[in-house]
Amino acid sequence: MELEHSFTVPVPEERAWEVLMDVNRVAPCMPGATLDSVEGDDIKGRIKVKVGPIAMTYAGTAHFAERDEQNHVIVLEASGKETRGAGTASATVRSTLQEQGAQTHVVVNTTLNVTGRPAQFGRGVMAEVGGKLIGIFASNLAEMLAADSAQPADSAQPADQGRADGEQEGDLDQRSLESLVLPVRTYNGLRRTGIHTVDDLAAQTREQLLAIEGIGPASVEEIRQKLADRGLTLRESPVSGNGVAGSAAVQPPPTVPAATAAEPATEPVRPAAATASNAGRASDDDAIDLLSVAGAPVLKRAIPVAAAVVTVAVIVLRIRVKRRKARG
Amino acid sequence: MIPSKFDYVRPSSLDEAVRALADAGDDAKVIAGGQSLLPLLRLRLANPELLVDVGGIDELRGVTDEGDSLLIGARTTHYQLVHDPLIAEHCGLIAETAETVADPAVRHRGTFGGSLAHGDPAGDLPAVALALDATLIARGPGGDREIPAADFFVDYLTTALEPAEVLTGIRVPKLPGWGYRYEKFHRTAQAWATVGVAALVQRSNGQVANARIGLTNMGPVPVRATAAEEAATGAQASRDSLRAAASRAGEGTEPPADLHGAPDYRRHLARVLTGRALAAAAGV
Repeated sequence: MELEHSFTVPVPEERAWEVLMDVNRVAPCMPGATLDSVEGDDIKGRIKVKVGPIAMTYAGTAHFAERDEQNHVIVLEASGKETRGAGTASATVRSTLQEQGAQTHVVVNTTLNVTGRPAQFGRGVMAEVGGKLIGIFASNLAEMLAADSAQPADSAQPADQGRADGEQEGDLDQRSLESLVLPVRTYNGLRRTGIHTVDDLAAQTREQLLAIEGIGPASVEEIRQKLADRGLTLRESPVSGNGVAGSAAVQPPPTVPAATAAEPATEPVRPAAATASNAGRASDDDAIDLLSVAGAPVLKRAIPVAAAVVTVAVIVLRIRVKRRKARG
Repeated sequence: MIPSKFDYVRPSSLDEAVRALADAGDDAKVIAGGQSLLPLLRLRLANPELLVDVGGIDELRGVTDEGDSLLIGARTTHYQLVHDPLIAEHCGLIAETAETVADPAVRHRGTFGGSLAHGDPAGDLPAVALALDATLIARGPGGDREIPAADFFVDYLTTALEPAEVLTGIRVPKLPGWGYRYEKFHRTAQAWATVGVAALVQRSNGQVANARIGLTNMGPVPVRATAAEEAATGAQASRDSLRAAASRAGEGTEPPADLHGAPDYRRHLARVLTGRALAAAAGV
């Protein structure tokens, strides 16, 4: 079956395009979706579908089949299998972006195929359900894009600079986790925890890394050396003396925010952003070095980070205030 | 297929049933006749952790005359709807429709309340309840609540009932002097309606004074054919004028597409069946 949804968001096309390319932000817009892993272009995840008495879980993969930056078309192909049955579902989601002044009109065309028990059921249950899911997905996406544009007030300049720069790809490679060539076990552990870039990694403390499944002291030592080759260091452990508040600020290693899929718009903290905010406070020097290397594209990508920094800072402040009150 | 594992309780009073539901939270389902829920369980499309069987609660059964209306217990089976003298006298549309539901075995087990609470837009009785402007009565932890049929069907298989609420009865107005008809098109006798039309017509002086039309399987919820209702009201009670009014029956509907028909085909069926139902209800 074919479905079409469209919406307009108050952000320039370039911003909308960027966000749509970010799996970690797009996936939570799918109601009931959980990301299991993201490796390159391949996304593994699950979708829980619940309608009245009917509940089904599909596990599967998705990948970007097409990213046409010229015509602003993104095609995402997804296919999954029921976790408790032999049914399958597949979808091709084609998003087309059209610039309308300072706004962007997004058209989402979806082709949905469902086989298995729903077919036995004899009616278009899944078509009904699928249509609804895509509808919610589209509206969540619209909300997220709109919320995104409302956050960073100081973001206009870097975005303009970014437009002039065409060398994103090479810069990105240098920052990616893959470029460190870590052992698979370590690499997967980091990815699972939401660490996707070298900056993310440098923002971790030794203790945080040790808390990750599959990473032990030897792995941490290896990471430390590979970072040192690039002139980077791990984030230092929280300063002693204010141990309680400090640990509250840095405690949770960032995780993929898929668990809160129901409210993606109010979940502005993407994993990279959460860690980068820590990095910002720990070592300003590193941040400046990286910017001089990566240039404008990084600045552009830092817009959501900036938003997240503000959010995290507010949360941390609140926690601290509460703790003080509790102590007093 | 054998259903997934679930717990089962069979309370003997309504309050016990409500308490069991409230304690179980989201993953509990009420089971009455089980004619819709059991297929879902056996296909493992539904996996509730607890089934609360209301089959032991006798206060949910039977039909009471309330003067201007009838109160039909939620657990009244389709078979009883067909054969109840009060319903035959005052709400013939319900009896006529119940007689077309699936097959005799299903009609003996399946209940009026269950059919409504399941919220299947392809079920026959939801469209009838909608056309009749019925009021649904639900008992929850906070007591009884009345829900107009127009507000009851929220979405596909989703109703306004809270997880801890049990549908206890349906209040339907007596409509003396109204003609009625349920027209349904289905592939086999037991199959769901591809499209169904419930029509109620009040005549005066050779004209249609009032018309109400409920549509089955013409969207994610049962819907009223308001455009056709307006066109029919005040029209001559003749086949031609009613057919003209019925030509607007598909307006504003979003029927599903499945093996049995595309949306356009369903809109076509809605127009044809509405024409027949209106004519029969008007007695022309």
